[in-house]
Amino acid sequence: MKFHNLSIKRKMTLITMLTSTAALLLFSVSFLIYDLIAFRHFLSEDLSTQAEIIGYNSAAAMAFKDQAAATETLAALKAKEDITAAVLYSPEGRIFARYNRANIAKMTLPDRLPPADGFRFSGSFLEVFHVVSLNGEPCGRLFLQSDMSQWNARAKRYAGLLLVFMVCSDLLALLVSSKLQNLISQPILRLEDTMRMVSSRKNYEVRALKFYDDEIGRLIDGFNTMLADIQERDTALQGANYELKSQTNELEDEVARRKQTQEELLGAKRAAEDASRAKSAFLANMSHELRTPLNAIIGYSEMLEEEIQDSGRIEKVEDVRKIHSAGKHLLALINDVLDLSKIEAGKMGLHLEHFEVAGMIEDIVSTLEPTIAKNANRLVLQLSEDLGQMHGDITKVRQILFNLLSNACKFTEHGTISLSVNRATAEGQEWIRFRVSDTGIGIGAEHQENLFKEFAQADVSIARKYGGTGLGLAISHRFAQMMGGQIGVESEMGKGSVFTVHLPAHVTTEAAGTAKPKQLSGRAAAEPEPKLQPNTVLMIDDDPAERELMCRSLAKAGFHVVAVADGEEGLRLARRIQPVVITLDVLLPGIDGWEVLSRLKADSELAHIPVIVVTIVDNELKRADCGASSYLIKPVNRDLLVKLIEKYSELQPSTSGGGVPVNV
Amino acid sequence: MPTILLVEDNEMNRDMLSRRLERKGYRVIAAKDGAEGYYLARSQSPDIILMDISLPVMNGWEVTRRLKSDRATSHIPIIALTAHALATDRAKAFEVGCDDYDTKPVDFVRLQIKIEKLILEKKPS
Repeated sequence: MKFHNLSIKRKMTLITMLTSTAALLLFSVSFLIYDLIAFRHFLSEDLSTQAEIIGYNSAAAMAFKDQAAATETLAALKAKEDITAAVLYSPEGRIFARYNRANIAKMTLPDRLPPADGFRFSGSFLEVFHVVSLNGEPCGRLFLQSDMSQWNARAKRYAGLLLVFMVCSDLLALLVSSKLQNLISQPILRLEDTMRMVSSRKNYEVRALKFYDDEIGRLIDGFNTMLADIQERDTALQGANYELKSQTNELEDEVARRKQTQEELLGAKRAAEDASRAKSAFLANMSHELRTPLNAIIGYSEMLEEEIQDSGRIEKVEDVRKIHSAGKHLLALINDVLDLSKIEAGKMGLHLEHFEVAGMIEDIVSTLEPTIAKNANRLVLQLSEDLGQMHGDITKVRQILFNLLSNACKFTEHGTISLSVNRATAEGQEWIRFRVSDTGIGIGAEHQENLFKEFAQADVSIARKYGGTGLGLAISHRFAQMMGGQIGVESEMGKGSVFTVHLPAHVTTEAAGTAKPKQLSGRAAAEPEPKLQPNTVLMIDDDPAERELMCRSLAKAGFHVVAVADGEEGLRLARRIQPVVITLDVLLPGIDGWEVLSRLKADSELAHIPVIVVTIVDNELKRADCGASSYLIKPVNRDLLVKLIEKYSELQPSTSGGGVPVNV
Repeated sequence: MPTILLVEDNEMNRDMLSRRLERKGYRVIAAKDGAEGYYLARSQSPDIILMDISLPVMNGWEVTRRLKSDRATSHIPIIALTAHALATDRAKAFEVGCDDYDTKPVDFVRLQIKIEKLILEKKPS
């Protein structure tokens, strides 16, 4: 195991041990070296001193050439165990006397003696040279050799001693460090335990125990703070998770609900489509059944006319013509219904062919001449030079134009009807633009929206006065769409209407029926003014549903209802139609009901008309002095309202002459 | 005097059309169902046939198809008359071999023009 990966406990013990061992080792080695060097120096001094003593003792023997005395002197060296050899040289360099330690068989003598005193270490021996002199006269030289056994013994002893000392010291260091390392390692180990517990159990509530206020203490503090943060986030996360889960559940529920609703809607849609198809089929069949007797009516009336003319009874011709024209009118209505039912059943196809636009228009105009003349109108034609050919369903184009022009004639008297046709390029294709304008009664904004919808004639009275099914524009609109074109209207009450038809110059079957009607400029449809009728109730209410329901209830009771959505229009119509009763809603767009009421009461022509205020706003103060004949709070009991209106209408000056308020 | 075979099940229409045609100087023979029409077409060899489509016993399409596939009668021009103003009817009329097509109630003047035109066209052959 590498040192790096050892546990902190061991690391700390090891560091302590190594540090103390290193210090001790350095100290011991230094001491040993110092001591041995010093001891060697001491040995050499000592040996030199001995050499001096021996030299002094043997100087006389040397001077007197007394070899025996010299040898004896040298033999005294026996007491010195470490001296291995001693040699006295004559001044000439010859060996004069010698001493050899008994246990050493052979000794090596130096080849050459140094000229002066000195010592040297040679191998494991210490050698000393000394000049022997007597009374200042040199008389020979001494050589001493020591085997340094003392030094060796001392070195060994000291080394052993130091080793023991070191071992003891290390043991002591181990003991101390193993006790003291707990100070540092214990908190770290505990911290580690805590961490392991946190990570294994994901329990962020535990805290590490702090022992001392040192760096580790601060580390533990930091760790605990971090744990607290994590715990807080964990709690928040769990909360968010829970919320998310509940939201997911809610969403799933919602999705399920929507899916169910969607299925229900799909079912309803299928049912509605089936019903619509059934209706279309019924209309087609009924139209067919109606046409058969009509065949006879028209045919016989034509035949009768011819016969009457032949027989000369001219006065009867008009009557027969009336039958014939009524029959033709009925046929036109049936054809419209049939066309529409065919369109709705998806059975209306396109017969595309090339035709001259100018020729077609000539055709239409000549057919329409009697219609134009009927209301003393004038037709102005503006055809551009470049009209050329169109590729489309001529029957349908003709029907659209015929319809628009007949409408223009119908709603215009002593006026001008213009038809302008030109060719233009837009959106990358060529268009033929037909523009039919009149100076007739115009169309109120509120009717323009529904103008192209089926069965949307503004009022039953329109059909009565002007005729028509209210299907002509719807059919024209559908036909234009089928050919990939569009139809639009711009109109203002009293100022006439402008209908514009854009058709592709080259209709393709792909375009047929796919084109969506684009946002049309201009507003609603030609709305003929309501006629003056007895028993007319004017209803001023901006809620279409309310209007519809009231209209039905009052119509059942035999009243003619004129309904308007805003006060200004209501005031204008009140003057015009002189209703028997006015019902008035308070919350209206533009001027409010109270204002309408005060204006009604201020107008001498209108002040006598009873006004029934119908509102969701209960205002005691206004009730008291507003001048209303009755005051009803919505939702209104319609039967009660009808009865009330009946009473008021009976009290009218025209019928009963009284103006007595009725209490309800 | 050209002979017109009128195949029409509705009594009033049959009466009215035949009388009007007679007034214009045609000889009219009338059949009230498809089978009778087929029989009269073969036996009387009319110059032209006005054929209603929704007929009892045998419908107008079938009568037309049979007459047009028979060499003895295939030359007789047939004008289909239908109350259905559906585009499919128009296409079908030409498909089964009708020479012209018109919708009811008939525009008598227009019908007479069609009759004259077909009689003139077919006469030489």
